[in-house]
Amino acid sequence: MWLYGCMLLPLLAFGLSKQSAVYFSVLDIPRIWTDEAMKDWELPNSNPAYSAQPVTEEFYYNLPERVIYKTYPVYHPDQEPEGYWEWLHGLEAEIVFDESKLITEEDWIKAGELLFDYPIDTLGAIINTQHVRNPDFYSSTGMPLTPEGIMPFAQWVVAGKGKVYLGNLSCAMCHTRVMEDGSLLKGAQGNWPGDKAFAFALESDGVSERGVQGITNILFGSAFVEGNPHGKLLASGRESILEAYKAVPEGAFGRQGTSILYPPQAPNLIGVKDRKYFDHGGLGQHRSIVDMMRYIAMNQALDFLNFYGEYNSIGLTKERLNIGDPIIFPGTYDRHSEAQLYAIAKYVYSLTPPENPYKPSTVSERGKIIFAEQGCVTCHTPPLFTNNKLTPADGFEVPDEHFDKYDIFDISVGTDPGYTLNTRRGTGYYKVPSLLGLWYRGPFLHDASLAKLEDLFDPARLRDDYVPTGFKPHDVKTKAVKGHEFGMELNEGDRKALVAYLLTL
Amino acid sequence: MDIGYLDIVVAPWRSLRILCARCVNPTLINKKNRLFLVFALVPFLLIAQSVKPESPIQFKIKNAGITVDGTISDWEVEVDFDPKKLSQSIIRGKANPESIQTGIKLRDKHLQGREYFHIQKFPFISLESKSFQPRGKNAFVGIFELQIRDVKMEVEIPFTLSQTGRQQKFKGEFIIDRLDFGLGEKSLVLSDEVRIFVEF
Repeated sequence: MWLYGCMLLPLLAFGLSKQSAVYFSVLDIPRIWTDEAMKDWELPNSNPAYSAQPVTEEFYYNLPERVIYKTYPVYHPDQEPEGYWEWLHGLEAEIVFDESKLITEEDWIKAGELLFDYPIDTLGAIINTQHVRNPDFYSSTGMPLTPEGIMPFAQWVVAGKGKVYLGNLSCAMCHTRVMEDGSLLKGAQGNWPGDKAFAFALESDGVSERGVQGITNILFGSAFVEGNPHGKLLASGRESILEAYKAVPEGAFGRQGTSILYPPQAPNLIGVKDRKYFDHGGLGQHRSIVDMMRYIAMNQALDFLNFYGEYNSIGLTKERLNIGDPIIFPGTYDRHSEAQLYAIAKYVYSLTPPENPYKPSTVSERGKIIFAEQGCVTCHTPPLFTNNKLTPADGFEVPDEHFDKYDIFDISVGTDPGYTLNTRRGTGYYKVPSLLGLWYRGPFLHDASLAKLEDLFDPARLRDDYVPTGFKPHDVKTKAVKGHEFGMELNEGDRKALVAYLLTL
Repeated sequence: MDIGYLDIVVAPWRSLRILCARCVNPTLINKKNRLFLVFALVPFLLIAQSVKPESPIQFKIKNAGITVDGTISDWEVEVDFDPKKLSQSIIRGKANPESIQTGIKLRDKHLQGREYFHIQKFPFISLESKSFQPRGKNAFVGIFELQIRDVKMEVEIPFTLSQTGRQQKFKGEFIIDRLDFGLGEKSLVLSDEVRIFVEF
C-alpha cells in the first residue's frame, strides 16, 4: 500500500514511543477506555449488525503513550524566513508535555492547546514534506495562509537533530480556520482543504489506480452498506476518485469512516462542551469530560482498528489485531495518555468565540421575531440554539429502545441521508446543530452543500437544476439540496432580517 | 382521519335494537309499530345531540415569547344540556389530534409524534362532563374529565350558553399545563400553559 510504503522510515527514525507505566497524573483522571464503557458509549450503526467494535481495554493500554515534541510552523516556500529550513534541521528534539508540571487549570488548558496543535502522524498520512515544500501545492489546493505565509494545518515536528518531519492529523488540522483577515480561529469549523490536498498528494506522487483505490477504501470503505456506494466509487477508476476528493470544499473533510461522497462539514468545537453528542451523526455520547476524552482517542485514528461485523477497513483480521505486534498504520501504534487527553479536553472546553462583529440592529431584532414565529426555536432552542437532540434521517426507523437511551427528536427534516446511512460512522441520525457562531462558519448543512446562509432560504435549491454553492458531488452538474425547508416562503425582506439575526448569534 | 365518534351517538340505537331483538322478532313489528318506534326515538335523539362543530378547537401557547395559534379541526361533541336540569346534563367531546395545525407542517408532525400526542398509541383526546354549576345568566362552570394520551385529569371549564329556540351555542375557555399530560418536556422557550378555546 502507498501509505504502508512511506511509513516505515520515519518510524525507524522515531522508534516506538516510550512505554510508560504511569498514565495518571496527580489528578484523579479516570480510565477512559474500559471494555464496559466502550460497549455502549457510541450509538449503533444505522445497520446495527455493523456497529463499531473497538479494540479492547487490554489492547488499548498496551499501546505506548505518545511523546510530544516541540513543533514549528510550516511556511509557504516563498514566504519561509531565510535559513529557516536549515535552522530546523539544526535543532535538538524538545519534549514539551510534562504532566508533573501541570498544577493549575490554566496549566492544563495551555498544555491542551499544545496537544491540540500536535500532529499524531509523521508518516505522511495525508501530505508530506515534498508536498508542502512545493509552491504548486498551495496554488492547486487554494490553501488558506496567514499573512506571514504560515499554513496552520500541519506542523514541523523535530524529533532530533536533522529529523524534521511533517506532522499530520492534529486536532488543529480540521478545527482551525484562517479568517478573512488572516487571523487564526482555533476550534472553529476549519477551512483546511484536506481532500484537495490529498488529491494533490496522490497525483503528484503518481500513485497508481490500485493505490488510490486502496487508500480510498481504507478511509471510506463500507462494503456492508446497501448498494455499496463506496465500492462503486472505487470501481469508477483513478481519475474519478481523484475528482471526488477535489470536489470536497474547504470547511468539509472526508475524515476516516465518513465519505467523500457525503463529506461531513468540519465541526465547530467552540461551545462543544454544551453539546450532548459528537459527530454529525451523533456517533459518540457526550455525558462528561470522560466522553470527550474517549472521542478524541477514538477519532484521531483508533477507529481504523474497529471491526464492523467481520470487516476492518485496513484489512486486519481479529487474530492479527490481537496477536500483540504493533499495527503499523498512522495513529494506531501509539496513544495519548489519559493526562494528555484530559488536557486536550480541558482546552477544547475552554474555547470561546471571538467578538461578533454583527451587532443587534432593528433589522436583526425583526429577524429574531421571525425566528420564533417560524418555529426555529423548537430545534434551535436558545441559549445553545440547539435542543441537543438527534433527528432520524429519511429511511431510518428509530428503534423503540432508542427513545429511552438517547435524546430523539422524532422528525426527519429531510436533508441528504447519505452520510448517516452509508458510512461507517452513520447512525441513522443527524445531530441538531447549534446555530451559535454562524457568522464565522460555513459552508452549511451537515454535508457543507450550501456556501452561504442566504442559500438555505433560497427555494431554488430544492430544484434538480440547482448548482449547490458548497459541496457538489464530482459526478453531477446540478443537484437539489433538499430538506430543512423552513423559511422558504418568507419574502426577501424577512429573509434578510432572519439572516441578519442568525449572524448575531 | 375521521374519529368515528358517531359510535357514541348511535349507541342508543344499538341498545334499542338489542332490546327489540330480545323481546320481539323485528319481522313481526308491523308498520304502525315501526312508525311508533321512530316517533319514540326522535325526542331521544334530540336530547343526545351529536355535532361536528364548524369551528375547530383553538389553542394558544407561547413559544420564545411569540404566541403560537393552533387548531384541532376534527372533533365531535355530544350534548344533552338543560340549564334547568344541570345534574342530568351531559357534554362529551372527542378530538382527533392528527388534525392539529400550527402553521408549520413539520411542527404539526412533531406534535403528532410520541413526544407529544403520540397519535399512534393515543388516537383521541376525550372530554367528559362530571358536573355543572351555574355562574350567572347563561354562564356555567363544568367539571370535566380530560384525557390526553393516557393521562386523565379533572379540569374546570367556565362556559357560556346562548340559546335560540332549540339551538344551543356553547363557548368555553380553559388552561391546561401540557406537562401534566405528558405533552413534551420542560422547555426554556415553550410555555407549559396552553390556553384552549372551544365553541360549538
